[in-house]
Amino acid sequence: MRIAEPERDDVLLRQAARGDEEAFTLLYRRHQAAMYRFALRMTGNNWAAEEIVQDVFMTLMRQPKKYDASRGTIGAFLYGITRNRVMKHLERLPREVALEEKNEDGTGSGIVLQDNATPATWAEKRERVEQIRAAVLELPAEFREAVVLCELEEMSYEEAAAMAGCPIGTIRSRLHRGRALLLAKLEMLRDVPRRASAVR
Amino acid sequence: MKCEEFEAIGLDAERDASLSEAERAAARAHINSCSRCAAFQDSWLAARTELRSLVEATSEHQAPARVEMRLRQEFRTQHHTVKARRAVVIAGWALAAAAILVGAVSWINWRASQHQGVTSHPGAQSNPANLAASGGSGAKQAPDQNLGANPETLLADNELGDFTLLPGVLPSDTDDAAIMRVRMQRSALGALGLPVSEENAGDWIQVDLLVGNDGLPQGVRLPQEN
Repeated sequence: MRIAEPERDDVLLRQAARGDEEAFTLLYRRHQAAMYRFALRMTGNNWAAEEIVQDVFMTLMRQPKKYDASRGTIGAFLYGITRNRVMKHLERLPREVALEEKNEDGTGSGIVLQDNATPATWAEKRERVEQIRAAVLELPAEFREAVVLCELEEMSYEEAAAMAGCPIGTIRSRLHRGRALLLAKLEMLRDVPRRASAVR
Repeated sequence: MKCEEFEAIGLDAERDASLSEAERAAARAHINSCSRCAAFQDSWLAARTELRSLVEATSEHQAPARVEMRLRQEFRTQHHTVKARRAVVIAGWALAAAAILVGAVSWINWRASQHQGVTSHPGAQSNPANLAASGGSGAKQAPDQNLGANPETLLADNELGDFTLLPGVLPSDTDDAAIMRVRMQRSALGALGLPVSEENAGDWIQVDLLVGNDGLPQGVRLPQEN
C-alpha cells in the first residue's frame, strides 16, 4: 500500500521547513512515541527522555536540511539523533537510575500492567517488571543499547547495527554479553527475595 | 557446533537473517545434544518472556503533551522571526530598487532636457574654429559653471554633422567614433590644429571631441549653450 503523497514523512518535513506548523506537528506525533520509549528504556528517566525527545525535534526543526533522504528514512534519522543524545546523557550521568517518578497526572513511574489480576498478583508482577527494568538499566551502555534495540525495540540485527553504527558481528557480540549479564542479574534479583523470605 | 558458538549465535538462530540454513541446523542439533546449552536457552527464553512484559508495560509510553506544546511554541517563534527578517530584507531591496528607478528616470529627464536645449539653438556657435578664434561669450564659461561639473563625459549623441574634422581625418574614419565632452583651456585647441586667439587662450571652454577606436581625437565641436 502506498502512503498518500501529502502524508509522506519527507513531504511533511519539506512543508515544515517552509513554516507549516501542522506538518511539523504531524511529523512529531508520528515519531515521538518511538523516540521517547527508546530514550526512556535507555536512560530509565522520564525527565531525561522528555528532554532528549524535545532536543531531537528541535534539531529537526532548526536543521531540516541535515536529513538526507538517500541515507534512510526520517524515522532512522531521528533514531540516530536520539541515540547520540542518549549516549551523551549516559556519559554525563553514567549511573543514574530513576527510583520513583511521577507522571504529569501525579501517578507512578508510568509502568502500567493492563490485566485483571488480583492486587497481590498485580503487585508481584509490577515488582518483577521493575526488577527487569532496573536490570536492563544496570547493563553497560553498549550492551544495554544492543538489548534495547534487539529485544525491546525488536529490531533486526541489520537495523540495530545500522542504528549503532557498527558491524552486525559487533551487535551480535554485544547482545550475547548483554544477555549473559542480564540473565545473571535477573537470577540474582530472583534469589534476593527468596533468601530474604528464607531468613524470615 | 561448540557451546561458545551456540551461546554467540545459536540463541537467535531462527531470527538472525545473516545465518545460513546449515548454521541454523547445527544450532538445532547442538541444543538436542547439549543439556547445558538447552538449559541456557530455556533460561533465556524465560528472561525474554519477562522482557516482553517490560515491553508491554511501556508500549503505551509517549512524550508528555508539554513537549509538543513547547516545540510548537518554538516553531512559531522561529518561523515568525524568519518571516519578519525576510520582510525587512524584501522592504530594503524594494526601497533600493525604487531609489535606482527614481535616479534613472531623473537622469533620463535631465538628458532629454539637455538634448532639447541643444536642438533649440541649432545655428549658434556651430563652428568651433570661428568660436575658438573669436572667444564668444558661450566659450567664456568659468570652470565651475560647466554642465554637470564633470571633466569628461561620454555622450550617446550620434549627430556627427556639427563636428569639424581634424586635419588628416577622413569622414569614413569616424564611423565607430565616440563623442566625449571635455573641459579644456582654449589654447589646447591649438594642439588639435585649430586657430586660437592669444587674448582668450587662457579661457576654459567645454568641447565635444570625436574620439576614434585608437583613442585619438578625430573631430571637435563646441556645444551650444542652453
